[in-house]
Amino acid sequence: MTAPIQLADPAHRPSRKAPLVWALGAAIPWGALVIAQVVWFALDHRAPGLNALAAAATAVGIVMFVVVVPLWRYRVHRWDIDSRAVYTRTGWLVQERRIAPISRVQTVDTQRGPLERLFGLADVTVTTASSAGAVRIEALDSQVADDVVARLTDIAAIGAEDAT
Amino acid sequence: MTAPPVAWQRLSPRMLLVHPVHEVVRQLPVLVGSLVLGSATGNNLLAVVVLALTVAFGVARWFTTSYRIGPSELQLRTGVLQRKVLALPRNRIRSVSTDARLLHRLLGLTVVRVGTGQEASGDTVFALDAVRADEVPRLRAVLLADSLAVPDAEVADPGRVLARWQPAWLRYSPLSLTGLAMIAAALGVLFQMSSEVGLEDSQLARSGMDAAQRFGVAVTVAVAVVVVLVASAVLSVLRSLLTYGNLLLRRDAEVLHLQHGLLRVREHTFDMRRLRGGTLREPLLVRLFGGARLDAVMTGVGGAGEASMLLPPCPRATAEAVLAELIEHPEPVTGPLRRHGPAATRRRWVRALALPVVAAAALAALPAPLWAWAGWVVVTGCCALLAADRARSLGHRVGGGWLVARAGSLQRTRDCIAAPGVIGWTVRQSLFQRRAGVATLVAATAAGVKRYRVIDVPAELAWSIAAQTSPWIADTRWASDGPDLR
Repeated sequence: MTAPIQLADPAHRPSRKAPLVWALGAAIPWGALVIAQVVWFALDHRAPGLNALAAAATAVGIVMFVVVVPLWRYRVHRWDIDSRAVYTRTGWLVQERRIAPISRVQTVDTQRGPLERLFGLADVTVTTASSAGAVRIEALDSQVADDVVARLTDIAAIGAEDAT
Repeated sequence: MTAPPVAWQRLSPRMLLVHPVHEVVRQLPVLVGSLVLGSATGNNLLAVVVLALTVAFGVARWFTTSYRIGPSELQLRTGVLQRKVLALPRNRIRSVSTDARLLHRLLGLTVVRVGTGQEASGDTVFALDAVRADEVPRLRAVLLADSLAVPDAEVADPGRVLARWQPAWLRYSPLSLTGLAMIAAALGVLFQMSSEVGLEDSQLARSGMDAAQRFGVAVTVAVAVVVVLVASAVLSVLRSLLTYGNLLLRRDAEVLHLQHGLLRVREHTFDMRRLRGGTLREPLLVRLFGGARLDAVMTGVGGAGEASMLLPPCPRATAEAVLAELIEHPEPVTGPLRRHGPAATRRRWVRALALPVVAAAALAALPAPLWAWAGWVVVTGCCALLAADRARSLGHRVGGGWLVARAGSLQRTRDCIAAPGVIGWTVRQSLFQRRAGVATLVAATAAGVKRYRVIDVPAELAWSIAAQTSPWIADTRWASDGPDLR
């Protein structure tokens, strides 16, 4: 057996605005839930205990998904590109490090959701011939995303060899 | 389009007989319903009208279906009320399979299905239903001409037979669950019918209730279970015989032919150049009797199920020999595996015993009767056996251009994947895996089920396995030798 090989973590973080955008994205559905609960509390006074329980659960959920998870994800998320491969680290509870060779890249897409447009962010998705091999770099500054796409399409002789 | 237009062709005119029959079978519930409704209202004309409409619809399907094989595209027009054109680039054709049900065979017809590797289902399947059976070899050659070289002297040189069905293979089929599934389906239909026809208070049901009262519930249930199990075994064997009897796996140079079926004849053609490995499947009950199934891992062929099946449950040695011959390397198929170590074993045990521990706590909390504890002991024993077997199954093997991963107990699989087919790697760690120092390595390929997992390898080995399989990983600038990085 050859010497064991380690892979260092990818170098670059997502945009500094990423946790804010993720937090806002999570806050919208939780906000809707809070409004629904306020309406329920105002109209229904039969079970105050149940109301309090629901409110407590919602508060815990909000702290978790609007505050903790975005910060946690920001600590984990990394991306990097060299002349051969795209490499990312993502997740929070379940963390994934994913690497795909640029020679096998089929498409490079950017997506900008409404919130991301508001804050000038973009996601870059690099797909290969395998549905299990797509590499997604989330929440980059638009300028960085454009550079990444330009670099990837530059390096990749897209369509030359995709192992199908 | 600059090429001259190619004429649209119709399916075989004999389908004028088949389509109406199929329509009638498909609309059987409606027909029965209209018959019942008609006899209830004293208006027998209703059923006749529905039948005539159904037959007319079946006939109309032939007139509205046509196909053409253009220079670069394959097109199929279908639909009586809703017209639809399905187009398929010819260079995307990955496989051609044929299928002839009983009625088709009696009329000398065959259904030709064209596979592109996309997950096609329902309306998006490109199927010519049906053409004359003697036209199939020509059609197959035309369809596959762009994507794979079918030897011209196909008939003259029958190629090499890799496997032929043996009656002994039937011994694995009573253990499968297909019989139970068939019985369940039949019972479902029966219940549905009974609520329509009013079977609840028929003589059969009443005699059943009488028997239950006479012999006691326990005996009746036991007898019913034995009857169902025996019937299930018989049905499974029968189905296996009809489906796989006369199975023949043949290789002509770069083309793999699989044909099987006594009543319904199916034939698959695989392009060997798209083979990226194989999966040996050993369901527990089959494995106990030394059997295994073989699936092909190919680009352009669905990963699981019938599309990729090469061999049904057969002696393990046969499946291994065929796979070794297909991939031309015996080591990935039979070579020893590297175990995943104590952390992986511990995780198998923790997972299997979590439920019994919770159940024990619950039983202790509420005063449970003795028989509940007896049941708990049995269940816990089964869980322990499962954990031991799952831990024993885990293993991997790298090197020589192949990645081999084995896992599972009830459905043990050994995936053998060719290294050049792997086009991406994921190292996944849940919170518990990080604490246990293990990781799940996922190899992404364009073939088969697309992702092949090496479960719970020691975390420090994960990237080494990936790099040994795909040397380009060691050339990236993140790679470094030595385990002392973190």
